[in-house]
Amino acid sequence: MSRARIPYKVITAIQGGVFILLCLIVLLPMLTPTTARAQTQTQTQTQTQTNESERAIPVPNPSADLWREVRQREGIVAGRSQVAGVDSGTLINPYGETWRNFRMQQLIPYSGYLLAGVLLLLTLFYFIRGKIKVNAGLGDKKLFRYSLYERTIHWFIASVFLFLALTGLILLYGRPLLIPLMGQEGFSLLASASKEGHNLFGPVFAVALLLIFIRFVRRNIYQKGDLTWLLKGGGIIGKGHVPSNFFNMGEKSMFWLLALVGVVIVGSGLVLVFPVFGQARITMELAHVSHAVTTVLMIAVILGHIYIGSVGMEGALDGMTTGYCDLNWAREHHAQWAERCEQEGEVVSESEVSSLRGEAAGGPAVPNGMQESGR
Amino acid sequence: MIGQLIDGPLWYFSLAVFGVGMLYRLYSILRAGVKPDLATPRAGGGAGALRNLFSRFAPRRDVATRGRLTLIAGYLFHLGLFALLFFAQPHVDFLAERITGFGWPALPYWAFIISAELALVGLLLLWLHRLLHPVTRLLSSVDDHIGTGLVFLVMLSGCLALAQAFEPLRLLHLFLAELLLIYFPFSSLMHTFTFVFSRGYTGAMMGRKGVNA
Repeated sequence: MSRARIPYKVITAIQGGVFILLCLIVLLPMLTPTTARAQTQTQTQTQTQTNESERAIPVPNPSADLWREVRQREGIVAGRSQVAGVDSGTLINPYGETWRNFRMQQLIPYSGYLLAGVLLLLTLFYFIRGKIKVNAGLGDKKLFRYSLYERTIHWFIASVFLFLALTGLILLYGRPLLIPLMGQEGFSLLASASKEGHNLFGPVFAVALLLIFIRFVRRNIYQKGDLTWLLKGGGIIGKGHVPSNFFNMGEKSMFWLLALVGVVIVGSGLVLVFPVFGQARITMELAHVSHAVTTVLMIAVILGHIYIGSVGMEGALDGMTTGYCDLNWAREHHAQWAERCEQEGEVVSESEVSSLRGEAAGGPAVPNGMQESGR
Repeated sequence: MIGQLIDGPLWYFSLAVFGVGMLYRLYSILRAGVKPDLATPRAGGGAGALRNLFSRFAPRRDVATRGRLTLIAGYLFHLGLFALLFFAQPHVDFLAERITGFGWPALPYWAFIISAELALVGLLLLWLHRLLHPVTRLLSSVDDHIGTGLVFLVMLSGCLALAQAFEPLRLLHLFLAELLLIYFPFSSLMHTFTFVFSRGYTGAMMGRKGVNA
């Protein structure tokens, strides 16, 4: 009867509405705020616990307190153990998780952005500014700039640094970047090789850094006029060249950065590579963080150094490959040093340089002291 | 498949090339003989040869001053490589298993690592000196750079395989070592053995002339 009085479409609509209502009831706990759900759950749990406690024998669970003590959320509390060794009294180090989260969530992405950003900036700078030319053009007069020993230790530290940077970056970014490309097995092999190579060449970098520091420190002490160079952005801001001495403010700052940050890099690296001197796990974590942060900073700076020394500036590389730089280049970028050299009569012609380097028909004829001169 | 080739036939082939080639080169030198010395000798040649052979390990004072870098780097590389080649535990085990049939005391791990570092530092500095010094750059041929490069790669791949956990890394190291063995007799790397002849010959000649060379 009722069916006859209520149209079929209405019944269908009511049925549909009931279905929707049922769905809403089922989904309601999921749609309500978490706190409400939590309250409901807590109430349910409390109810269940009350029921269970009414039924259970009143014996406290000892493991709850035990694991609460083991998991030291407020800090490390070291106990006593028969096992001799660092951290052997600590069951769980809560800072390990902090370190891991920092590495995965901050260090890897942000350092990646930094390095990618520097590369992008350098590329943009190259396309906007182009190669910085020598305005007067490269001439046939040269100045002796770097001795054989200086060039050798420069390329020595450069090759060791590049190897360490490459292997270090593989270890830092390999998991997110390389595993998708080469698979887990391939990456584990590469990571093992990188780790061994990195650990082996690390102490070599310390030696190279020491050699560089001893040799170049005297010429990198800040002088009058360096601040002017900095304020004018090394010639990028304003017109004309900013005079500087043998090294300009930028080069000197890079040297001191290399020296000071290098000490942190070497120190933290040694803490990591020799875990046998009683350093605790937390020391290792701090060493890793400082090692990673300083090396990423150093790589970013060295990218700029490589850029300006190669494609960024005309004539900049000659001094470090042949030992001689162009006089016009020196006048434009190191005017005070070039002026002093000219006054002291140290300008040599290109043919003389060729002769000194053994490139002339007569073969090598190296005057005493010329090749090994430190100046 | 490639691993079996490197571990088996290629190893024996490279060893044979190295052995036969080296013997042939040494035989050629000995067979060439020396020019007859018609002058009356002032002293015996043998003593001069022996003196020259050992005295040249210490450089003359002026050479030691001017070439301090190559002197130090040279000793670092050669001594480091010698220690690595014959006293690193993996090499002692390998040589005992494949060639000698008996082993000998190996260096502790830390000394092995230090030897590797010294050898690598020395080789890098020497190679850079070869490239940057105008005279050595002119004197160096492609052969010198190939030889240096191969030695460097063998040492580097050995260092990368230090964990001894990955077979491909060990095979890469062995493969490069085999290439080096094959290249060795035909290159200036033969100075490992021929330095004795060159020093001995010069010393004997000077000894007969009564010159303290």
